[in-house]
Amino acid sequence: MAIIRLNYEYLERLTGTDRQTIIERLPMIGSDIERTFEDHVDVEFFPSRVDLYSTEGVARAMRGFLGIEEGLPAYPVTPSGIAFSVDPALAEIRPYLASAVIRNVRLDEAGIESLMGLQESLHWALGRGRRKVAIGVHDMDAVRPPFRYLASPRDRRFVPLDFTEDLSMEEILADHPKGRDYAHLVENFDRFPLIVDAEDRVLSFPPIINGELTRVTTETRNILLDCTGTDDRAVQMAAKIICTALAGAGATIESVSIDGVACPDLSPAERIVSPVDCARLLGLDLDAATMAALLRKMRFGAEPLPDGRVRVLVPPYRADIMHDRDLFEDVAVAYGYDHFDAVLPGTSTTGREHPISALERTVRTIFTGLGYLEVLPFTLTSGKVLYERMGRPPSPDVLPVAKPITEDQSVVRTHILPLLMETLEINRHRELPQRIFAAGDVIRGETTMQTVAAVSIHAAADFSEAYAAMDALCRELGLSPGFAESADPAFIDGRRGDVVVNGTIVGVFGEIHPEVLAAFSLEHPVAALELDLTAVPGYPVRPDTP
Amino acid sequence: MDDLTLNEKRLLVALAPRGRADADTLAGALGTSEEAVVQYAHLCADRGLVTVERTVTKTYALTPEGEEYRRSGLPERQMLEQIGGGIPMKDLQALPLSRIGIGWLRKKGWIAIKNGVAETCGAAPPGDDEIALAAPREGMPGIPDLLRRNLAVEVEEAAYLIAITPAGTALVEPGLDLREEIGTLTRDQILSGSWRTANLRRYSLQTPPKRIYPGKSHPYQRIIDEVKRILQDMGFAEMRGEIVLSAFWDFDALFQPQDHPAREMQDTFYLDRTESLPAGWEGVRDMHEHGGATSSTGWGGVWDAAKAKQCVLRTHTTPLSLRYLIENPWPPVKAFALGQVYRREAIDPTHQPGFEQLEGIVMDEDVTFRHLLGYLREFYQRMGFANVRFRPGYFPYTEPSVEPEVRVDGLGWVELGGAGVFREEVTAPWGIEAPVLAWGLGISRVGMLKLGLKDLRQLYRSDIDWIRETPVIGKGE
Repeated sequence: MAIIRLNYEYLERLTGTDRQTIIERLPMIGSDIERTFEDHVDVEFFPSRVDLYSTEGVARAMRGFLGIEEGLPAYPVTPSGIAFSVDPALAEIRPYLASAVIRNVRLDEAGIESLMGLQESLHWALGRGRRKVAIGVHDMDAVRPPFRYLASPRDRRFVPLDFTEDLSMEEILADHPKGRDYAHLVENFDRFPLIVDAEDRVLSFPPIINGELTRVTTETRNILLDCTGTDDRAVQMAAKIICTALAGAGATIESVSIDGVACPDLSPAERIVSPVDCARLLGLDLDAATMAALLRKMRFGAEPLPDGRVRVLVPPYRADIMHDRDLFEDVAVAYGYDHFDAVLPGTSTTGREHPISALERTVRTIFTGLGYLEVLPFTLTSGKVLYERMGRPPSPDVLPVAKPITEDQSVVRTHILPLLMETLEINRHRELPQRIFAAGDVIRGETTMQTVAAVSIHAAADFSEAYAAMDALCRELGLSPGFAESADPAFIDGRRGDVVVNGTIVGVFGEIHPEVLAAFSLEHPVAALELDLTAVPGYPVRPDTP
Repeated sequence: MDDLTLNEKRLLVALAPRGRADADTLAGALGTSEEAVVQYAHLCADRGLVTVERTVTKTYALTPEGEEYRRSGLPERQMLEQIGGGIPMKDLQALPLSRIGIGWLRKKGWIAIKNGVAETCGAAPPGDDEIALAAPREGMPGIPDLLRRNLAVEVEEAAYLIAITPAGTALVEPGLDLREEIGTLTRDQILSGSWRTANLRRYSLQTPPKRIYPGKSHPYQRIIDEVKRILQDMGFAEMRGEIVLSAFWDFDALFQPQDHPAREMQDTFYLDRTESLPAGWEGVRDMHEHGGATSSTGWGGVWDAAKAKQCVLRTHTTPLSLRYLIENPWPPVKAFALGQVYRREAIDPTHQPGFEQLEGIVMDEDVTFRHLLGYLREFYQRMGFANVRFRPGYFPYTEPSVEPEVRVDGLGWVELGGAGVFREEVTAPWGIEAPVLAWGLGISRVGMLKLGLKDLRQLYRSDIDWIRETPVIGKGE
């Protein structure tokens, strides 16, 4: 999620009230106060509310929420007469462009910081790491229109931001910090995206880096904005959010003609919504006038219609309004989550434990009754623990995860017994005897199923103890299996047994092989068992699968 | 004093006429070992009936080497006698014992070496070491030399002098019951009735018993069971399901955009498997691309079926809820799941790549956001969190969304889970028309709060002593 730095003085100036009032109510529009500092506060906003990723955007929302200024903010756009052309050769590379001219900009340090922060957050939230959108702002007075967005040869040279010498675009990808970070977005193309002015001077190499020529400073008065990318909706939205944020700080917006189409379009979108639907969702008693008033607090244009519905004008910066429901949520936020009267409905249902959970609970009762302690080993483990140290061949059913964080957690457990051996190893300095068990999910192939395993370690642990425990478990579970000599290499030959139901091996028990004991650094004999719970009578067949 | 053992009584009786005696003597009188007498005496001393005085005497025993020299003289003495007035060095070196003796001869100043000839230096009276070697006793000046040369070793001998106290005498005077004591009753004694006349040993309550531990479930499992019980009490039916799911169920069906960062390999465990799309997948595609037949615009762009077919370890339990609703489409439905979910997170005190998530859903004709808040408040209060508050939240599959917070002593308001009303984009493709209230929370976080753990890893690492010592009662309630 995006953390936005809000400078108190700048925020107070834009909002028109004191910082305490703002900070106190800020969480109730949907944010987390991360940390407060002497002169600023770091706030986390949701990824859906990209319009709150600037001090200007937060001030705009808070003015409405605090009742200082409600309703739709007006964003008049006049044509600048400036033209921008897009090279058709970019179609396969980075086809979309949005732009605007932003005049009468007066940015102090806090304003520049807010703008840079907004750009970075949008690159992440809308741009998905600059792939869908990358944003450039330029001091327009350093260059001359018209502008061209083109596919350039890779050896074109210019001075990138923060450099004093010119580099080729290929060199920028190799040597500039931003070039290295984002090279993967363009390096496979024969030509690179480039923005130049009428005199072929470079403004930007999107999505990598701007030219030093058009650096924005506190002296900058007029900004040329470029948003380029692979997703037209995101590109247009980024331009709208930058323009409306700067307009909030007092700038005026002029449109640019991109191959004949005026950009940006800051007109509101219209939705006609029903207060009845809204009331039914929220459980509030709402008429059209109340609903409209609440929406105006959230900076929507909203008027009741004669038919009882509400006409809503959605400000251009609200990227999150996809569905009428999204407006209803804003009604709830304006109403105040803290004002809702939380009640339980009359819905009448009966509670029920899932049969598998009931079975696991039964197994817990049996083993705790036998004096075993339950442990909860983790479900991700390694092939080394599951097979190698157990002296068993790897199971064809094992499911490796694609990019494990550590080798220790690279597969999902197919058995629980090896994890109990590992638990004994961890506890080898604790008092003996130790008798532990675990029951729960294992995955074989792609199927989730359940097993129970138990181990007992002490000087006299032996086959008879394992056999007796497995026998007791089966009896208590109503299972009447056959017991046959086992070939499981984790156990000592002649001291191991398989549990057989309908000709299938569903469990194993016996005395753990001394080689396996050594592999787990254990110095006493271990009696062990594991049983597939799918074999228990009444186990449900493939539950909850549509 | 009723709980004196027979052995203690016998010691007192033997000691009383003597007043004081050493342990060795008493051992003879009682026909037992000195160690046993000392043990009984200490038990009596704890009761103030006798005093035990321990005296240590040091004696010195010669080592085999020391014993040999006691008989034949130290090597340097033996050599000196063989030298006479003077002897060439090479002859001296050829003498037996020269390896040890020459050094000492020079060190003690018994010989001087000039021009390759060793000459004696006048009289060599017996030294302290030689006097001590003849009959070593504590305090002799030559003892340290013998110890250094490893010719003698120190032996500590403890002697115990036991004396009866007035309290002990007072106890013995009226006479003590010296019949054989019985510890564990035998079957014969019970059946024959001989227990009636037997002297049953009394046991002290001052001696703590050996600690034993019952078999029990894991403290965290008890919390999980408690959570489940609360939901069942509230009328929720339990859901369970597969851990391996296609991205279609884990993400797409829940309206998570295909380029959402949480879907990347960075955050989700992908598996080298694919699963075919279920019947009705086209509705989900339409929802993503343009919002289908709803008032939604969808995410736009082109929905990629290949991405949806990839299998993942479920990142949340919400797919279970949706699949349950598809199977049980008629309201009312109240269901919950409590199961492990997986996120690709590095292990640290508050993160594990897997943890337990609780998921609850309510579908009914007329349930509203207010009811969702009602369920949340009720649930958290039953969990023991008396103070609950609500803040706006964001989740891709719910709208409105809410983040419940609970008040925890010492921590303030703690965010505990998320909730909301399922978006129409989630329910419409499957024909689910009644509103669906949904909430989820990480139970491992609750477990840490309830068990007072600072490190999540303690939950899964299973220290047997911690499980033994954590009482069954008091946790998870």
